[in-house]
Amino acid sequence: MSRPHTTAFLTLALLGASCVDDDGNIPPPPDGLTLVREVPVVENYGIHDTYVRAGLAFVLAWNTGVLIYDVGNGIRGGTPENPGLVSSVPTTGGQAHNGWWFHNPNTSERTYFFVGQEGPGSIGSSSSGDIHVLDVSDLANPVEVAFFHIDGAGPHNFWMDESREILYAAYYNAGVVALDVSGTLSGDLATRELARFRPGGAGNTYTWSVQLSGGALYAIDMLSGLWRLTPDSTFAPVEGGGNVADRFSSDLWVHGSYAYSGTWGWFRRNGNSGNAAKVWRLDSGPAPVLVDSVIVSDVAAVSDVQVSDDGRLLVLSIEGFDSGGLFVYDLADPAHPVFLGAHAVATGLHTVTLATIGGRLYAFGARNPGGAALMIFDLTDVIP
Amino acid sequence: MPSGEVTRAIANVGAQHAAPLHQFTRALAALTLYVPVSAAAQEHRTRFDLAGQAVLVHRHHDPVPGGRALDETRIVQPVAVLRGTMAHGHLTLHVTANLEGLTILNGELTLGAWGEGFVDRRHPHTYVHELMIVARGTLGWATGLLGAGKGFVPFGTDDPMSRPPLSHPVNHHLSQILERAMIVAAVGTGPLLLEAAAFNGDEPTAPDAWPSLDRFGDSWAVRLTARPAALLEAQVSHAAVRSPEHVGGAGLDHAKWNWSLRCADARRYGLVEWARTSEGGGVFVFHSALVEAGLTRGRHGAYARFERTERPEEERIADFRSRRPLRDNAILGTSRWTLWTAGYRHRWSGPRESRVEPFVEVTLGRVTKVGGGVFDPKGYYGGSSFAAAAIGLRLSRGLEGHRMGRYAH
Repeated sequence: MSRPHTTAFLTLALLGASCVDDDGNIPPPPDGLTLVREVPVVENYGIHDTYVRAGLAFVLAWNTGVLIYDVGNGIRGGTPENPGLVSSVPTTGGQAHNGWWFHNPNTSERTYFFVGQEGPGSIGSSSSGDIHVLDVSDLANPVEVAFFHIDGAGPHNFWMDESREILYAAYYNAGVVALDVSGTLSGDLATRELARFRPGGAGNTYTWSVQLSGGALYAIDMLSGLWRLTPDSTFAPVEGGGNVADRFSSDLWVHGSYAYSGTWGWFRRNGNSGNAAKVWRLDSGPAPVLVDSVIVSDVAAVSDVQVSDDGRLLVLSIEGFDSGGLFVYDLADPAHPVFLGAHAVATGLHTVTLATIGGRLYAFGARNPGGAALMIFDLTDVIP
Repeated sequence: MPSGEVTRAIANVGAQHAAPLHQFTRALAALTLYVPVSAAAQEHRTRFDLAGQAVLVHRHHDPVPGGRALDETRIVQPVAVLRGTMAHGHLTLHVTANLEGLTILNGELTLGAWGEGFVDRRHPHTYVHELMIVARGTLGWATGLLGAGKGFVPFGTDDPMSRPPLSHPVNHHLSQILERAMIVAAVGTGPLLLEAAAFNGDEPTAPDAWPSLDRFGDSWAVRLTARPAALLEAQVSHAAVRSPEHVGGAGLDHAKWNWSLRCADARRYGLVEWARTSEGGGVFVFHSALVEAGLTRGRHGAYARFERTERPEEERIADFRSRRPLRDNAILGTSRWTLWTAGYRHRWSGPRESRVEPFVEVTLGRVTKVGGGVFDPKGYYGGSSFAAAAIGLRLSRGLEGHRMGRYAH
């Protein structure tokens, strides 16, 4: 047994004991879906989200900062098929996660772009990061001019009541935060805080996203589900919550009388991964009512949700265990989405943003590393 | 070659190439601060020793993720070590090939193990585990060392592969930094040895991965070792590691501390260790305390280990795998592992330092949740108490007393 070849023999005898999982099975893309462009993003860590408005795509690219592309605005002659880089700017601390370009209807100013910094945290209990304010009045030379900080918490997604000049931020363990963003923004915005509310209460709040619709503020919380809040200084009355006990919730989109929420499952809740999109009826009473669930088999998270402006398409960005992609649904019956098809993305699509440019409907997807890229799809011809 | 070295050497393949190699190594030595060749070094011209080991082990763990028990048989720690001595002892070559990428591509069942995208399984190391060339010598009152290549950063305690228990401790990633491209320098005088290294912060991403050379020098470590008595060794070390878990550099930076007391000779072994890693400027902090002891009498060897270590619970892509690279700076929470391990091995020695060692090892322990986060160990494992047993056979040659990665020893 002391001979060297004994070891070698035993080694060879047990080779092959390991195995590698196969890729997941992603359905074929829907008819009419076209990938028109991929824009690589430096993997630092990569692209997280995209905000598209007025023909400009603001790419939130983590430690690279914010990249502004002309995708139809005209400032650089860009189109969705051939985006033109306008500028890029790193934000303080990096970790640029999400954004909102404030179009102030009262002043017609388009001065500020709000950036959410997603700092480190423990999912479900702690978070960090600030809101950074860029002055983009000169789009070619954005400048950071202000910030907002909460000890022990960090922002996630934004929505704005632009006419009232209020920014609503989902703030993870701090719940929902309302900021007065009227006038000139400079330095520390701590005095601009209007309200803060944890819909699930202490220890049961980790709010992912918010959206104003129909005079209500909807908040989706990873732990405590979908809430309907009142957008005033106390957020009361508060309705809903405790309605997604089977999974951790993720993103939210509200359209008309329906809401659609995703689920997150990089750690299973009650044995379930984040393979569901929930459909909610909002006009059946004061609280949202669950009317359907769309199940996407073998995936980890439905990480982003959006409905087209005309209400005809629902898109989901999907991240899987070796797969993912852009999933598209027909909303002819908004209570019961019908799957149309998917564009597979092996590394997963983290977010998706819909925008109408030049009369055509595009989806801007954030492809995860490796191969991080802004993926631009034309969905115009998908609409049934 | 002195006759005493015959039994130590397993292969001596360098003699016929001595002349050109000697010139090469002398040229490298000229880059360092070295001085006169000692008498002992004069005896060592160019020579190479080959050593190695492999362990055939059957493991039973209860529970594993999902609340079930799991048995499996694997070959673990299959390594081949080439040690070269050149330039009259002024230059040494350290090459270690690790074949775990072939035998445990999906990791080795190990209680509490984590790191490099594995959870509850120890990850395979890279094929080129170590490739270092080290120059050494004396300068007046001090001895000096300068090394370069891929290897073990001077931080923390000995690699677990060099220690009595088979199972890696939970604190492997808190207490060792390895498989990095680095330049290491050391100076020693009397009982003191000071080592420092600059290296790439990114940890390996696969068995065939190489360090990111564009990140070389973004991390550093320093270790001070004292040997106040013949068998006693104390060390304290610190490392600043940039984004180890994101090869692109977008992850959290780690600040690491480690101290230990070690007492060892051919028959006795003891280690007391404390470690702390702070991530993201203190957003996450993980601690570890570990005590190991071993006793050898003739063919019989017994050992034990107590460990209490905190580990990050990372987003899962499968029962035994976590997401890499880590994104969104998010973890699921922190767990604390308290493990008691005991083992016995029987040694048969063969010619040329070959050994056959059947062994049995048992670990009992429990896990608790520390602080907040969605990670729930009871839900994830179906309980918080663990039992693991391992039985197997270790085959080795020439590794007795080898402290992997200790280039200054």
